[in-house]
Amino acid sequence: MATNLFIWIKQNLFGQITCQRCLELLELITDGEASPEEERQFRKHIDDCLPCLETYNLEKSIKEMLRNKLEKKQVPEDLILSIKEKIRNTA
Amino acid sequence: MSAEKVKQDYTNIEKERIFEKEFLPHISSMFNFAYRLTFDEDDAKDLVQDTYLKAFRFLNSFQQGTNAKAWLFRILKNSFINDFRKKSKQPPKVDYQEVETFYNSDNVDVSMTTDLRVETVQHMIGDEVSNALNALAVDFRTVIILCDLEGFTYEEMSKILDIPIGTVRSRLHRARNLLKDKLRTYAKSMGYNK
Repeated sequence: MATNLFIWIKQNLFGQITCQRCLELLELITDGEASPEEERQFRKHIDDCLPCLETYNLEKSIKEMLRNKLEKKQVPEDLILSIKEKIRNTA
Repeated sequence: MSAEKVKQDYTNIEKERIFEKEFLPHISSMFNFAYRLTFDEDDAKDLVQDTYLKAFRFLNSFQQGTNAKAWLFRILKNSFINDFRKKSKQPPKVDYQEVETFYNSDNVDVSMTTDLRVETVQHMIGDEVSNALNALAVDFRTVIILCDLEGFTYEEMSKILDIPIGTVRSRLHRARNLLKDKLRTYAKSMGYNK
């Protein structure tokens, strides 16, 4: 009986991270820098916590927006030629 | 980048090969990084050219098989700080005493993100995103570019910027909060969050 209670407490009280810990992990997760254990704890938490899930989705969407929506400047055509020429002249 | 301490002795043919195959493929990322630092195409060209010339001059400090892109970004960042920023009319550096102590893992600011929605972010167009990013002080803009646009790891960023990983994380955290502030203000002015 006592053993079962101990397991229940361990799994249900200590297995679940707090919202604060979840938000601390959030950037590590979106940046791909979290350990597998941190990732597991994080996923477990957001499965049950809507506010943390929403914050995570917002962080993810901002990161995606930055990657996909910012205009990429074309490299000026003469830049590579000019670099190569300068190197040839200094070599 | 610890490889920088080990001097190589490349032949001219090897130097040319490294330059062509390992350095030049990053020119688009380099040019875009330079442009986002300087906001001027000619200045960005000068900065990239200067970076590549330095990279060639110090090629014996580069070890093949290590991260050429991070090595080049580090040179570009240093050139920008040491040579370019002195000549330009960039605003003075941000005081990190105040901003970096702002980050405290015991006090994560949930409230700051609550009124910015995923749908709002998804509706924003490139110019709006660009304006928000460009409005950040250069050191905050830099960490977002390195992490979110270029996909560098915290460790690579730490080497590029010469700061500890903890500082990379705190600066990134602060930069993202500032960016969210700009996006939120923009969304409100456009009536997105009704």
